[in-house]
Amino acid sequence: MKNVVQMTRRSFIKATAIAAGYAVLGFNLTREAVAAGLDFLTARQKGVYDADANKKVYPIRKSQDNPMVQKIYDKKHGFLHDGPCGHKSHELLHTHYQDRSSAVKALKEKGVKLKV
Amino acid sequence: MKEIEKVAYQDNAPKGADPDGIYFVQVDSAKCQACGECDNHCATGAIQSINEAGIRQVVNPAACVNCGQCLIHCPYGAIYEGVGYVDEIMAKLKDKNTVVVSMPAPAVRYALGESFGYPPGTYVGGKMHAALKKLGFKYIWDNEYTADVTIMEEGTELIERISKPGKERPLPQFTSCCPGWMKFVESFYPDLLPHVSTCKSPIGMLGALAKTYGAQTTKTPPAKMYTVSIMPCVAKKYEGLRPEMASSGFRDIDATINTRELAYMIKQAGIDFKNLPDAKPDPALGMSTGAATIFGTSGGVMEAALRLAYEVLSKEKLAPPDVKVVRTHEGINSAEVKVPKFGVVKVAVASGLDNAAKLCDEVRAGKSPYHFIEIMTCPGGCVNGGGQPLDPSVRSASLFQRTIASINKRFNMRTAG
Repeated sequence: MKNVVQMTRRSFIKATAIAAGYAVLGFNLTREAVAAGLDFLTARQKGVYDADANKKVYPIRKSQDNPMVQKIYDKKHGFLHDGPCGHKSHELLHTHYQDRSSAVKALKEKGVKLKV
Repeated sequence: MKEIEKVAYQDNAPKGADPDGIYFVQVDSAKCQACGECDNHCATGAIQSINEAGIRQVVNPAACVNCGQCLIHCPYGAIYEGVGYVDEIMAKLKDKNTVVVSMPAPAVRYALGESFGYPPGTYVGGKMHAALKKLGFKYIWDNEYTADVTIMEEGTELIERISKPGKERPLPQFTSCCPGWMKFVESFYPDLLPHVSTCKSPIGMLGALAKTYGAQTTKTPPAKMYTVSIMPCVAKKYEGLRPEMASSGFRDIDATINTRELAYMIKQAGIDFKNLPDAKPDPALGMSTGAATIFGTSGGVMEAALRLAYEVLSKEKLAPPDVKVVRTHEGINSAEVKVPKFGVVKVAVASGLDNAAKLCDEVRAGKSPYHFIEIMTCPGGCVNGGGQPLDPSVRSASLFQRTIASINKRFNMRTAG
């Protein structure tokens, strides 16, 4: 990558090796590998949407209709009876975040190059 | 080191350690062939060449968001996990004084089957619950239950932000369930933290509820309870160790493993996974809906939240519940959802942190038109997380790459040396 026009001995050998590899094994092997990877990723996502739409797996499809969700937020007896974003929720279910940028800054000052 | 589903793991189960100092993934320089494939999957540049031979390392834990995408894409199996709780969990399962409870994430059940010969994407939730019971987990609680609770909390927060936007809680609201994204925004865009939902992730919520509400319902002393988070993810190991994850009065999450480690435990126990009858989780902290299961895919949290927000804002039923426009495979997806009696809800979904950064820059510049933004670190969402079983083609197609790389490595070593 250092110099595109002027080819070094090292990059020449590298290019020759890659060309030889393709000549021997063909482009299809690599292309097939790429295609298989994509199918793999989408198959899992499809599995999720199929289950969501399948009444036998998920008879209920909205969080607010889940009886156990209704139970925990029940206004009289529920564990979170003051409702979503209520006092108890804030105690247990909400959080705060921390500025972690100083560690990254220190790295960059040491000369470490990052993408962000 | 232990080999688990073709990935090496260090036997290191940290307690009370500062997660910022831990290498959750690292490169074994003896196995690295300097091909640089990992660079292509790292959004921050934490993994990089450290010498002239091109050997890669995660240079510092501060720069790494622990997503593990480098690990699952390494053609040479050169990247290992630095934290593994399998041995500790096995011991706890045998200990009569400990009540071990399970907390599996939605995405686990769409990939666990791959380790037992099922095609990718096969739903094996029923068998997963049965296997957990067989392994000796006392209560089969499920992170999908708190995905539903997350929607109630995060959806309510969004509606509050929309009706009363303020400096402390501005719009757009970002999702907060992805631990890779959370460390990313804390490290690289800390000025945007007021935009991030204050909701813990579903596992953060389940950990806290397990040792309070769960302990109460099952009459279990919370001190005896040992909570196991089972994730498609590596970064959840970092999240489980965050010091603030102790709102139950105990450590909310005692151990975090991923799908590969669960598959390994099932195999080690000699359980015949394929012939297990389907089982259901214990309902109080286990019952879930379709809205919860779609958390495992990019666009899913958004769609689940809209299924609630639509009904609250319009006071009308949303039927059918599908909001297909937000389903995202890659890149950035934006949509305008018309809600009666309210108007238009503008949303965006980003898959991958390079895309997240684009949306963050817009918000920083005050030019973001959205109400709600969902961010997932891994392409397509948690189902393709760094803790899932490996795509066999990543390693099997590498005969050619292997040859080229070893020639390269030998040559580079010589010239660099």
